[in-house]
Amino acid sequence: MANDPFETEALTFLDALYRTALRMTRSEADAEDLVQETYIKAFRAREQFTPGTNLKAWLFRILTNTFINTYRRRQTQPEFTELDDVDEFSLYRRMSDLKTSSNSGDPESEFLNGLVDNEVKDALAELPEKFRSVVLLDVEGFSYKEIAEMLDIPIGTVMSRLHRGRKFLQKRLYDLAQERGIAAVRAAPQKG
Amino acid sequence: MDCDDCVERLFQFLDTELSGKELASVRSHLEGCDDCDDNFVFEEHFLKRLRECCTSDVAPIELRQRVILKLRGDSPPSTTR
Repeated sequence: MANDPFETEALTFLDALYRTALRMTRSEADAEDLVQETYIKAFRAREQFTPGTNLKAWLFRILTNTFINTYRRRQTQPEFTELDDVDEFSLYRRMSDLKTSSNSGDPESEFLNGLVDNEVKDALAELPEKFRSVVLLDVEGFSYKEIAEMLDIPIGTVMSRLHRGRKFLQKRLYDLAQERGIAAVRAAPQKG
Repeated sequence: MDCDDCVERLFQFLDTELSGKELASVRSHLEGCDDCDDNFVFEEHFLKRLRECCTSDVAPIELRQRVILKLRGDSPPSTTR
């Protein structure tokens, strides 16, 4: 039924569901299976969807549930970390220190413009799963409340995971920039 | 509101999760504090780049076709096709 409006609208979120699934599972094959399963479940449960409400959020709730129930169990990476060591990291602070110490123009813009998609994706892949899920759902535009409902965690937990997840990414990307590339950052004295 | 209080609310502000008095206090602090304002602008740009990097991928075309076939196979036979 090519003219089924539910199908047409649901399929507009296929790219978003796929890229989120890909980052959650870190496997193309698993991501494809997860997305396919999400659509099958969504269609079987379509009577439960209230037309006019947020279909993207509804589909993402099915995706995250399926991921948690099926794929998360298979993840081999131990997840004991709370990432509390990155809590206080301030990339902005590092950048403004650079500006005053090395007189090197505009390290902030240089850093941001120098960020490459692959580096960001690699940094995301290194982020422990419970933080990564929150960051990914945020990137897709969901509110704290929506993310809390999807992952069945309190809003305060969404906020702290989002905070730490972003700080982790910033620290990782700053370290990478120091290792291989951005002149102003590379020239800076190494700090702990 | 001092700088620490303001920076503590940075992400909530950028995520448009603040309202009422808190939002007004952050805004008024930012108007009077260049350092916090620069900090917020930098973080805003960072989040924008993060979003851009994460949302550029598209699903493989075969997946789209497979999903459509599955869905149509799963639903009652169509008379309009």
